[in-house]
Amino acid sequence: MIVRSLLTIWMALIIVAAFLYAEPATDFVAAGFPRQVSRILFFHVPTAWIATLAFLISMIASALYLAKRNVKADYIAQSAAELGFLFCVLATVTGSIFAKATWGSFWNWDPRQTSIVILLMIYGAYFALRSAVPDLERKRVLAGVYSILAFAAVPFLVFVVPRITSSLHPENTMNPASPGMDPKTLKVFLGSLFAYTGLFVWMLRLKIRILTIEGLRVRDLFR
Amino acid sequence: MHQTKNGRQITQTKPSTYLNEAVAIWFRDLRSEFRTRYALNAILMFAVTTLIAVSFSIGSFRIEEAERPFLYAVLLWIILTFSALSGLARSFVKEEEAGTMDILKLSARPQAVFLGKLLFNLTLLGAMELIIVPSFILLMAYQIKFPGFFIAMVISGGLGLAAGTTIIAAMIARASARGALFSVLSFPLLLPLMITAIKGCERAAVGIGTAGWPEVKMAVAYVIVMVIMSLFLFPLVWEE
Repeated sequence: MIVRSLLTIWMALIIVAAFLYAEPATDFVAAGFPRQVSRILFFHVPTAWIATLAFLISMIASALYLAKRNVKADYIAQSAAELGFLFCVLATVTGSIFAKATWGSFWNWDPRQTSIVILLMIYGAYFALRSAVPDLERKRVLAGVYSILAFAAVPFLVFVVPRITSSLHPENTMNPASPGMDPKTLKVFLGSLFAYTGLFVWMLRLKIRILTIEGLRVRDLFR
Repeated sequence: MHQTKNGRQITQTKPSTYLNEAVAIWFRDLRSEFRTRYALNAILMFAVTTLIAVSFSIGSFRIEEAERPFLYAVLLWIILTFSALSGLARSFVKEEEAGTMDILKLSARPQAVFLGKLLFNLTLLGAMELIIVPSFILLMAYQIKFPGFFIAMVISGGLGLAAGTTIIAAMIARASARGALFSVLSFPLLLPLMITAIKGCERAAVGIGTAGWPEVKMAVAYVIVMVIMSLFLFPLVWEE
């Protein structure tokens, strides 16, 4: 309860800080982009980070399920995949808004956009598979196998896609590791990452609890 | 045959190896396929129909000369990929429908079953490519500057199509709405391969930058990764 309240306050502070405390990125302004456009950093990058984290957790939990056949691991895999999908959609939408503001169109098959669409397709297929197998145990095994297979195919995209066209995605100017980032921006950015991670952990635990309760109910039916 | 003291005959067999079992399954599938020709007919008719549709609506001169290498490669791989997706699921679905899954489980090891089915799917794809690719080249007046690279790309791309979809076929055999699910599950896995193969065929047609065979290497790497992952994961799917 206390943790949740603190997280709420922290999130609110970050949102206020993102608009009032942090300053627009100078090189974006110099490039002639709209003044406020760089503020999307505080919302777009954390959602993309959470999507990556969630899919990674989902894959590891799937492997764990296949090895140990522990239902809890499958609950984690499913919850993380669903949340990852949600955050992936958010990252796509925010990225698309940024693309409109800077590159001039919502969608132009930039490598980043291509790979995120394929990621959405993979997890869309994952949910389609889950809903198409009626037997619970078999559903979990097949979903786990697919999750791992998909993870093996993704690295090829990383090699293949950038060869088609070069990306317009800002990497160096807005990367916290490079010296280009303003210290105020960096503070708010790291705070935002932390806030989103907390939000994700809270949502994940909630979702796992829902699945556990539903699982218990199903077991009662067959008793 | 071996005669014992009391006159009984005992058949002595060598212990079967993975390769033996895989080849036995491959031949068995080929034989049953030759009886019905279900999968081959489905794939071939699908491929021929799309090829005719493409050729009829675009023809050999509708696309500008400069655009041809890329657009023809795209069309060729769309035809090949979706034709493959229309029939390759058959290899496992037929076991489920005929109720022979359990016997197959008893008579061969899972990895051997996977390899046998993979070989069968490869045969089907090879037959399809053998008919579709030359027809495509003839109908569309596809000019290829570097045929060796093109052939290698078509072969390695076909290997990739089979390697990526065989385990998916085993997975969907136990699910409902199989046909649609097969395409939905396979397509995201095949997309990196498809992009590579399209790029490779374009390169072969233009004849520039073929040194080192980059796309063929990429496709072969894809095949190796998918086959190894499948060999690891297939027993889980199969014994479920």
